[in-house]
Amino acid sequence: MVKDSVKDLASLALSEAERLGADYAEARVQGGVGYGFMLKNGEPQPSMVEDSFGIGVRVICGGALAFGATNLMDRASVKGLTAKTVKMAISSKSLVKNPVKLDRSRSVKQKVVVPQKESIEGADAAWLKKLLVDIDGRIEDGRDAGAGSSVKIPNRIVVASSELEEKYFVSSDGAEVEFITPRVHFFAIMTAISNGEAAQRIVQQGETGGLEVVARLDLANKVQEEARILRLVVAKATKSPTGVMDVLLSPELSGIAAHESVGHPQEADRILGREGAQAGESYLKKDSLGTKIGSREANISDDPTLAHSNGFAPVDDEGVRATKRYLIVDGRITEFLHNRSTAAQLKVRDNGAARAVGFNREPIVRMSNTFVEPGDYSRDEIVKEVKDGVYIKSFTEWNIDDKRLNQRYVGLEAYRIKNGALGEMVKAPVLEITTPALWASVKARSKRLEFEAAVCGKGDPMQGIPVWTGGPDTLLGGVRIGTR
Amino acid sequence: MVVDSQQVNEHAMKVAKKLGVEDAVFLSVVGSEQMVRFANDSLSVSKRIEERVLSVYLARGGKRIVGGSTNVEKQGIESFVERLHKTMVNLTRDPAYVPLPKGARKFTRPSAHDEGLGESEKDVSEAARVAIESARSAGAKRSAGAVEATLAATDILTSSGTVGHDVGSSILLNIRSFTDANASGHGLSCSSTLKGLDAKGAGRTAGEHSKRMQNSKQPSEGTYTVLMSPTVASNLISLIGSFASAFSVEAGISYLADKLGKKVASPSFCLTDHGTIKGGLGGRSFDDEGTPTQSTRLIQDGVLKSYLHNLGTANRFKTKSTGNGGWIEPNPWNLEVGAGDSTYDEMVSSIKHGIILTSNWYTRFSNYRTGEFSTVPRDGTYLVENGEVTTPLSGLRMSDSLERLFSSVVLLSKQRQWIEWWEVDEPTLCPWVLVEGVKITRAYGSSP
Repeated sequence: MVKDSVKDLASLALSEAERLGADYAEARVQGGVGYGFMLKNGEPQPSMVEDSFGIGVRVICGGALAFGATNLMDRASVKGLTAKTVKMAISSKSLVKNPVKLDRSRSVKQKVVVPQKESIEGADAAWLKKLLVDIDGRIEDGRDAGAGSSVKIPNRIVVASSELEEKYFVSSDGAEVEFITPRVHFFAIMTAISNGEAAQRIVQQGETGGLEVVARLDLANKVQEEARILRLVVAKATKSPTGVMDVLLSPELSGIAAHESVGHPQEADRILGREGAQAGESYLKKDSLGTKIGSREANISDDPTLAHSNGFAPVDDEGVRATKRYLIVDGRITEFLHNRSTAAQLKVRDNGAARAVGFNREPIVRMSNTFVEPGDYSRDEIVKEVKDGVYIKSFTEWNIDDKRLNQRYVGLEAYRIKNGALGEMVKAPVLEITTPALWASVKARSKRLEFEAAVCGKGDPMQGIPVWTGGPDTLLGGVRIGTR
Repeated sequence: MVVDSQQVNEHAMKVAKKLGVEDAVFLSVVGSEQMVRFANDSLSVSKRIEERVLSVYLARGGKRIVGGSTNVEKQGIESFVERLHKTMVNLTRDPAYVPLPKGARKFTRPSAHDEGLGESEKDVSEAARVAIESARSAGAKRSAGAVEATLAATDILTSSGTVGHDVGSSILLNIRSFTDANASGHGLSCSSTLKGLDAKGAGRTAGEHSKRMQNSKQPSEGTYTVLMSPTVASNLISLIGSFASAFSVEAGISYLADKLGKKVASPSFCLTDHGTIKGGLGGRSFDDEGTPTQSTRLIQDGVLKSYLHNLGTANRFKTKSTGNGGWIEPNPWNLEVGAGDSTYDEMVSSIKHGIILTSNWYTRFSNYRTGEFSTVPRDGTYLVENGEVTTPLSGLRMSDSLERLFSSVVLLSKQRQWIEWWEVDEPTLCPWVLVEGVKITRAYGSSP
């Protein structure tokens, strides 16, 4: 629970900003305690403890926006910070040509407490270490890998972290929101080597919730299976076919494509140019709503309300209730991601996508859990329809241009599909494709909907924020596959 | 509130020694960051972040723990150190533990920072205004960017009695100008002092590229000679700096593993890490373990000469720390690529069939162990045919491996520039770099 003394500091910042003439003010106290542990090639590294807490104050004065933050949590420091922040806004007015306005979203008064079956406080360094020793042992033990059992995985980084974040937000528009968010995150990078061949796999998993997250994710078994597959990639994968063919994307691939080429270009702040010099802009314009971008099978959403999700944010960091966003429906662009400022500029309802990763970062438009909506088929039914193609189940290298139009995904675990059946494992198929070509080629989706955890980077200073990416198996008809 | 950083360290040390800790390091950092961001020629936000952070390393009985706390009140320091200690004693012994060296050192550095960057609200706004106007004069329709000034003081105290105080400053300007959907240009200026900032020049560069990039075409896929600007080359070289960390080598996430003493680049390529260097944007006179920082030649005439070490990795590699700790992993401070002897014009003239890249982003690896990657060029990008710059290009991707790429360096420029920005974490002093045989691809579905 956020202490009353801390809430008082947020209220102090608000009243001080208003007294000094701010047209709008908000204060966000945010922080928590986190534990982390890492094994490198089976060897424990020093365990890590983070205790971070501070206050961020944002004000608007005559259309000029300013943000100040400090971790000095005494009344004099908070008053001083607020005064500096208001002064910054006032003195910067002459350089503001496009005044910042906020929409009139209904301000929320709510307490958001993520439920924990087993308290996150039990996940201290010793608990995390025990978890990782088990997982690392399973990665190293290749007895279940069949043809890949002779392939070694000598290099392994496995990291687990737990965090209990507390956040309290108040605004001069009447919002008052308290958040208690426990979080578990897992990261691994493993390198398999045999006869001069090397392959690498990064695994990320994360959810909001207590220690039950580890069991729910079936983490140890999942990572063991990834290690088994990695050995097979080194031992068995043969040259990928190239040319134009059908490509079946797994939930992991569908998810990264949804995130990179739908979620990002539909962030309204990018469309309006605010991230132009860093994360870039968008191939979409203010008037792109309704544009046909994909086939009728292209349906992509972003939902911050999914229980125990990595991107769980049912109320955003501007005190606005967040709703599921239908980004692409039946192939048409239907909704952008908004904060109060972009919603006011485009004269639409704010869907509550403003998030800040810490007290020292301003809230900006972010995705939460972005995914291709599931379809009606089983994966096997889709495979049966493919005469000649490739199934890409996991990926390594990926990137996209800053307008989100030209993307590339390099497969790690991938299989040939011949005459309706999965065949041999193939090496590093490359899907390098434009956004319209990708989504126009969607022919079918499976029923299963699965998610991966990711940390999405945006903003200046950089903010890496937890998200989920996901989707079903998604069939692309007639696209080009290359190879490295 | 404990205000003085060494008082924070001393109080924390008192608590740690009372608990029976054998090795301890306390690092107090007091920093301020002033930033303005702009978009569409208009200021979008002003920011000021003031932080005081205490970082802690404790070891006892072969067990180790590290932590960071923003609560530097007396009671907060006590409870944080006690919590770390309590967590540590429940752990098992750490086989990689290496004791801190005995003997006290005292670190001071002649002041090289710009104290004014601590209170630089007017200066960053003015730099933004100058850059925007300069870009517009050079042909830009609109510009976006950021100016960021930082001032940070670090104090160290170790259980061996080592003390040190170091102050660093930097001001970074990043501007991107646009004329149409596919026509943009990028300009940077980075300095450790306000005086060294060239806002006008950065704006002019961004504006000129945005004008020249109009009516860009997509190139044919194939192999090209590529001339990388200091901005593009620094993006890749700062990654080489991270790959030179002995931690990355041990973890199998470095293509430089097993390459000590071997050729990893062209004979003309030299790379050095400096703890401190005149004009450097980062760095300190001591590392996180109280080891003096130094200049470490990583690549000499194309041959890998050294990794970057902290005490732990140095012990395992049977060498000495290079002063790059990092309690968990060693990291570079300031990277310097040796200058060449070519001018930019000479480099362009030497290209028969090539591409000039002035900015890039989103470099990602297929495999850190092999160094295979791709990156996405953006902003000023030009086709060069028979020594002449002919056509602005967009919609391309560069795909290679770091070892092949830097083993194919044919020319380096005399002129070098300090680079640190959104896509370059480690400050890098870098020339223009001309490379042969680079694979360029385009996306399926893109128009010719």
